[in-house]
Formats: sequence, structure tokens, C-alpha cells
Amino acid sequence: MIEVSSLTKKYGEIHAIEALSFSVKKGEVVGFLGPNGAGKSTTMKIITGYMAPTSGYARVSGYDVFEDPLEVKKRIGYLPETPPLYNDMYVQDYLRYVAQLKGVEKSKLTSSVDMALEKTNLTEVRHRLIQNLSKGFRQRVGIAQALVSDPEVLILDEPTVGLDPKQVSEIRDLIKELRGKHTIILSTHILPEVQAVCERIIIINKGKIVAEDSLQNLSALKSGAQKINLRIKNPQDDLVRVLSGLKGVMKVHSGATQNNWTLDTEKQDEVIESIAKEVMIRGYGLLEISSAKADLEDVFLKLTYGEETKEVVHG
Amino acid sequence: MDKVSAIFQKELRGFLINPNFFMVCGLCTVIMSWIYPIQLNIFAQELQNYVYQTQIPKQQLNIHYAVFLRHLSYLNLMLILVVPALSMRLFSEERKMRTFDLLLTSPVTSAQIVIGKYLALMVAILVIIGLAFLYPAFTSIFAKVNWLILGIAFLGIFLVSAVYAGMNLFCSSLTESAIVSYVMAVIFNVAIWFVGIGGEIVDSPLARKIFEHISLSQHLSSLVEGTIRTGTLVFFATLVFLFGFLSERVVESSRWR
Repeated sequence: MIEVSSLTKKYGEIHAIEALSFSVKKGEVVGFLGPNGAGKSTTMKIITGYMAPTSGYARVSGYDVFEDPLEVKKRIGYLPETPPLYNDMYVQDYLRYVAQLKGVEKSKLTSSVDMALEKTNLTEVRHRLIQNLSKGFRQRVGIAQALVSDPEVLILDEPTVGLDPKQVSEIRDLIKELRGKHTIILSTHILPEVQAVCERIIIINKGKIVAEDSLQNLSALKSGAQKINLRIKNPQDDLVRVLSGLKGVMKVHSGATQNNWTLDTEKQDEVIESIAKEVMIRGYGLLEISSAKADLEDVFLKLTYGEETKEVVHG
Repeated sequence: MDKVSAIFQKELRGFLINPNFFMVCGLCTVIMSWIYPIQLNIFAQELQNYVYQTQIPKQQLNIHYAVFLRHLSYLNLMLILVVPALSMRLFSEERKMRTFDLLLTSPVTSAQIVIGKYLALMVAILVIIGLAFLYPAFTSIFAKVNWLILGIAFLGIFLVSAVYAGMNLFCSSLTESAIVSYVMAVIFNVAIWFVGIGGEIVDSPLARKIFEHISLSQHLSSLVEGTIRTGTLVFFATLVFLFGFLSERVVESSRWR
């Protein structure tokens, strides 16, 4: 469905993206993950035919985005970072206009607008001016705009930005509902979102793909190491020194309070056992010890920022 | 074609639901309603004086020259300032509000975008010219009006404003800021009247002919006197096409820049 091969985009001397290659099958939901400025939006803009790559190619349904932009654009619904809304239009008129631009047949205009309004729960505001809508509603109008032509491919650039938690979960449900019928690429730096809706994840950093796999495989990436959460009653000054000295403990991080600590250790049960024993002997007052599962966040931070930056994040 | 008409309708509705457009129209009529009766009055006095003074040039005794053409020249002055005000938001605002992304990711060509917007702008201008036409039209109640010549004179001003519209749309496509677009457009509109001035300093007859041909005032003056020349029509059409083409190129360039 979507095929991207050695895609490169330069802004002057700066490489926004460098030799990206990946492909997305029909009906798949792919999450595009990366820190700000990693090149997510640039990649998406190229796939929509909005801008041309410096080299390499991208194809949608077999049409090259640069050679056949019109054919590609017919098949794509795109929500940019800033929803492209006309403040002086009514929601309903706006969606109708977008549908016309996307080449929806005249007879189907009204029904496609109704469909998009319904799917994004906008029916109640259909007669309101866009400039009077709150940010959450505006974002939803942006999503409705991408859906209105019922495109084969949906490209959503940070679709849940600015929404409240309830709306976020509604949008996630909507994306889940669309899965299978539409091929979806969505970019985000919110990790739970990817975990919630995406089947496959592409992590991109500084214009390059650093990981591309399913969620399970990515989470398993960190095997060999584990994280231990420790809660104690009487912390003492020598705690860090003592725990660091234990066999298998790699690093000790301070937590939210004096009583919470996080340890990076090797993945062995004996390590937990020896930590527990040591804490008891020293009289720190063990309240809780648990192993935290390495989650996507760790993988993400490890792949994009590397270990040193992570210290700062946690410290 | 459907897409051109979608853009056209959207832009036209943008003009019509925008109070600014009606304000511009209203202010134009205020100015015209102030000047036009005065012109008419002066003309009436001159007609009376003709009995005593014989030196007055014949032209001034013709209502077409003495009243209508002056009316048109004021209208032209207003259009120089008003057309940029109408056109400035057409592309600049799209860029600023990021709605350009929508147009550029929709299956429409750059030419369709430009044509749709240009046509909407022309309709808005036509409204203002229509308002100006009311004045001579109502004068026909108490004066004899040569409709055909009057119509051709208005056609002339319409063609000139079509050139303004093309240039100003081009200015709007260049920048994100509506103000910059406005200032640039006014400068373009004023500057085009001074292109022909080059004819006064060149010696070679060929160069002078060229300057005469590209001088807007030469072409307009033949039209307002009631002469339609093919060359004139071609000249105006060329200018409109040129600036339409340039705008299309600017829009297209955002795809590969």
C-alpha cells in the first residue's frame, strides 16, 4: 500500500530525513514515533505529496507521490500538525468544501459529510463557526476533514494533541474502529497512544529509522536487563554505595522521594533476592520491592536519546 | 472544473460573509456620491457659460468626457487601492493559517487553485464596478447617454482591474503577511502606469513603439474613447495570463521548495 524507499529530504545542508525505507501493508496501523524534530512530519508530508523528496521515492497504491501526485492525493486523508481550518466557515460547510476538493461525487457529498461528523462526534457543532470552537473540537474537525472523503490511506500527524483524556480515548477508539478498512500512519510522541492503537511501530531519530518492529518485539528489546522498584522506610547515607556494590546491580537512581529508589540490574532472580537481604540487614526498613517491566518508554528513550540523556530524565 | 468551482464558491462566500467587503463597497460609494454630483454640477455650469464663452474646448461640452471619464478615473484610483485589499488575504492567509496544507494535499492542480481564486476576486471587483456604473446609469434619466461608448469605457476599466487582480493575486501568493502583500500590490498597481513613461526618453522609433504598446494608459485611453482594438485586448489578456502563470508557479513551487 505504502512503499518508501531510501527517502531523503534536505533543507539546505541539513538532512531532515536520510535514506528512510519502510513499507506499510493494506489495513495496517503504523505508529511513527520519535522526539521532536526527528523528521516525522517531513516524512508524512512527502507521503501526502505535499512536498517532494530530495532523493528516493515514496509510492501509495503503486503511484509515485512525485510523478502522480493527483492520484496519490485522491487516496489520502491528511491531518497536519496544525489542523487546516478556515475560521470563517461553518463546520458543515467546511467539510463539504473539503469533500468537494477531494473529488467526492456530488450525490455523495451530504452523506460523506454526515458520516465524518458522526464518526468524530461533531454532529452537535455542525452549524457553528470554526473560530468559536475549542481546541479539542478544532482537532476533531481536523480529523473529520481527513476522513470525509473516505480515503484508503489516513495520515495523522499527532492526532490527539490538545484533547482531554476522554476525547483522547474516543479518538483512539475511532482509530481502532478504522483499522482494517483504512491504512493508517500516525505520528506521535505520546507512547501510550502507540501502545493503544498501533500494530507496528517505526521509531525514527535524527532523520533515520532506529527501530521498526511490532510492539511485543520492541518491548522485548531490553531483555537482559531489568528495573527494580524499591520502597524503604529509613534511607541512610550509605544506601547508594551499598546497593551499587551488590553483584548484578548496574545503577541506582533516586525516585520521587527519599524513600523511593529505582535500580537497573541484570535479569536474574538472585539479584532481587540479594537486594532484599541487604536492605533487611542494613535496617533500611523494606516496604516494597518489585520488578518493573521494561516498557516501550525505555526502548524509546534508549533508542533515541541514549543512556546518558536518560540519567537526566530520571535524576 | 468541479474543483475550480468549489474553490471559487468558497472564496466568493468568503467575500460575501465578510463585513469588510461591504465596508469597502460602502466607503467607495461614499466617495463616489460626494464627487460625482459635483462633477455633474460643474458640467451643467459650463454648459450654461458656453453661451457667453466660445473658447471652451468642445470636448468639455460632452458629458462622456466631462463627467463619465472623470468618474472612471476616480474609480480607477479607488481600484488601485481597493483591489489589493480584496486580494491580500487570498493566498497570504492560507499560508498563515496553514490551510494551504489542505489545498496542497488535495487532488487539485495549482492552476485550478489560482483560477478559482482569481474568478472569485473578479466577481468581487465586478460588484464595485457595478456600483460605479449606477451613477452614469441614473444620469440617463435627465441626460442623453451614449450607452455603447459608456459600456466600452467601463469594459476598459474592467480590463484594467483584471490586470490589477492578476498582479495582486501574485503579490498575495508571495508572502505570508497580508500587510506586506497589500503594500506590494499597491506598488505594482501604481508602477504599471509608469512603464509607458520610458517612451519619452528613448530615441529609436522601434523602442518608442514598444513602450507605447506596453503602456497601460495608451490602451485604456483608446478604450474609454470607445475604440476596441484587438491589440488592446491581447495586451490585457497577456498581462492577466502572465501574472496568473506566475502565481501558479509560486503555488507550485511550495511543492518542491
